[in-house]
Amino acid sequence: MTQRKEIVMLEVTTDWYLTLAAMLFSIGFLGMMIRKNALIMFMCIELMLNAVNLTFISASKHFGQIDGQVFVFFVLVVAAAEVVVGLAIIVSIFRKQSSASVDVLNVSRG
Amino acid sequence: MCHEVKLEFIFLLPIFLPLLTSIFLFLNKKLFNELVTNFFTLNGSLLSFAIASYSFIALALNKFKAVNIELFQWISNPDISIGFTLDGLSGIMLVLVTGLSFVIQLFSTSYMEKDDNHSNYFVYFNFFVFSMLLLVMSSNFLVMFFGWELVGLSSYLLISFWSKKTEAAKAGNKAFVINRVGDFGFLIGLMIILDTFNTFDFYEILHNSTGVNENTITAISLFLLLGAFGKSAQFPLFSWLPDAMEGPTPASALIHAATMVTAGVFMLVRISPLLQHSKLASLLIIVFGLITALLAAFSAINQYDIKKVLAYSTISQLGFMFIAIGAGAYVAAIFHLVTHAFFKALLFLGAGAVIHSMHHEQDIRKMGGLRKKMPVTAAMMGIGTLAISGIPPLAGFWSKDEILASVFANGGIYYIFWALTLGAAFLTAFYMGRHWLLIFEKDNGFDHSDVSEAPKAMTRPLLLLGIFSVFIGFINTPFFHGLEKVLHVTLENVEVTHLPEGITLVVLAVLSIGAGFTGLIIAFLLFGIELHKRIDLQKFKLEYPINLIKDLSLNVLYLNKFGNLFFVSGMKNLSRKVAVVVDGMLIDGSVNFVSTAFNKTSKITSTTQTGMVRNYVVYFGLFLLLLIALFLATPMVPR
Repeated sequence: MTQRKEIVMLEVTTDWYLTLAAMLFSIGFLGMMIRKNALIMFMCIELMLNAVNLTFISASKHFGQIDGQVFVFFVLVVAAAEVVVGLAIIVSIFRKQSSASVDVLNVSRG
Repeated sequence: MCHEVKLEFIFLLPIFLPLLTSIFLFLNKKLFNELVTNFFTLNGSLLSFAIASYSFIALALNKFKAVNIELFQWISNPDISIGFTLDGLSGIMLVLVTGLSFVIQLFSTSYMEKDDNHSNYFVYFNFFVFSMLLLVMSSNFLVMFFGWELVGLSSYLLISFWSKKTEAAKAGNKAFVINRVGDFGFLIGLMIILDTFNTFDFYEILHNSTGVNENTITAISLFLLLGAFGKSAQFPLFSWLPDAMEGPTPASALIHAATMVTAGVFMLVRISPLLQHSKLASLLIIVFGLITALLAAFSAINQYDIKKVLAYSTISQLGFMFIAIGAGAYVAAIFHLVTHAFFKALLFLGAGAVIHSMHHEQDIRKMGGLRKKMPVTAAMMGIGTLAISGIPPLAGFWSKDEILASVFANGGIYYIFWALTLGAAFLTAFYMGRHWLLIFEKDNGFDHSDVSEAPKAMTRPLLLLGIFSVFIGFINTPFFHGLEKVLHVTLENVEVTHLPEGITLVVLAVLSIGAGFTGLIIAFLLFGIELHKRIDLQKFKLEYPINLIKDLSLNVLYLNKFGNLFFVSGMKNLSRKVAVVVDGMLIDGSVNFVSTAFNKTSKITSTTQTGMVRNYVVYFGLFLLLLIALFLATPMVPR
């Protein structure tokens, strides 16, 4: 077994970022599927959103274009607005049934 | 085009004045009481009549040269414009319609007194006058068609004026529907005209008809003829007119006797330059005219409704006008139209006065002996009866004699037509004599102590029309061809049948007077001195044929029942079947299938709606995976 002469630098390529984003997204998605606490589910959504943001930014860097970064700002603004509304809903749900579980909210069942 | 405007726009005024009156009264319905309404409608129609007379005199001074006014061009190719014309033919109609409308409105003010819808009546009435003038004054077929449809509408409105009565509402519907059959023919005729001549203008069509294929002209004539049959209540489209008597009597006098029903005659005279080229159409006109004249006269002899006798009489007289047109005597047709308008309006108004005094009793069997109670009405209706029977020197004699002589002058098969026409004239005198005797003379044993002469507003129009019924015949006699001069320009390219000369004419006149007198005398023998009760009829075994004739006459040869059975009931059964099979099973079935299918499938799919957010997230994820899979499976498009 011969040793390599050249030391390959561990270069952080775009793939890594994309992989990280995919993992974050999957975690968020899984959380959405298995948790029933509304607050936790909300955090999962935030996680997924930020995974998407990460994808945008890394793609932007990869292709050398500014568009992706602009999009991230939009996503951030929308996420902020969504947090305001979403938290308000969660608070009112909590007040009504003294738990933040979403499984109780099945009035729209077919 | 040699359109020349000389008489200014003034003759448009009488056309649009009634429309203005109508709209004005309609808008102020709630504000005006009866007196104010009468004031406006009477003065409006008087003014309209005055201007109409002025226009006619100006036209006469201009030697009846046609005046055309084009308001505006609607479409340039094919040439369609909104225009009016004033020539001899439309001039006569203009004066006739406005004059009669004034006299009859004068009568109506009294007849319609204290009616709930008093102002509505005059709104409709003026609207009718406007539509009729639109029809007769038009310079092209399109405006004529507008008028044609509008008179149908206003006739419908006036027939079903007392729409609370079921019969009135039904009669209005019937008139409208049967008229639609005629209008359908008229419309097709118009389409062929537009296709052939590329214009609707009378002048251009009637002066350029020489080069056109005879078959096309026959087709046009026949379709227009269907329209004329509908509007003028000719066989087989006549049964709406007797039913139309449900309307107010003065309206019947103007619309269903004097003017609107003559629209068909007017239209046929208008297209006479085309009509003369089609032998088939002329023959059909005279045959159907004869059938109508005889059938209606026969039906009139055993009617008991005071107005229905007059309605059948109107149909029969319209048949005479059609006979004249078929015989090529267009002047005689218009002449009879004019004289008939006066004496039939007189008879109808007289009937109206009788109905008014009898407290809306219309059965002539319950009248009788009214002569002493209502002397003026009786005298005037007597004049009308003599005039329609063709007794000289009253109006009806001159026109009817001219028709008979013209038919005779054609020779050949027309001798038979002449004999049949003479028979119809005899029947006319008979049933009119019966009509007058039953109302005014024969004592039927009913108490009429509460009956008195009609108010002055009713008898004055009667007197006016009575004078006209005596003298109007002198406008066109064998010694003075007044009407022929009036229509000279209108019919300049038309070959009009000329009357026979000398001794033949005298013999024909004597025969026609004889027919009239015989009819009246027989009526007098039967209903005046009741001859049949003095001699023993059993000897002759005449009871059965007489009863048969009475029955057939009362039921109009059962034509109405046949029509009901064949067209109305047949159609009803058919439509009921269609309603069950096509509508119930096919259309409703498919609609119901769609709804039930949706209902069932949605019940199945709604089970996926669990209401659990996490389940939705799972669906979301699954479909996301599906999308990614699709994306990957799709081959990349090379850049």
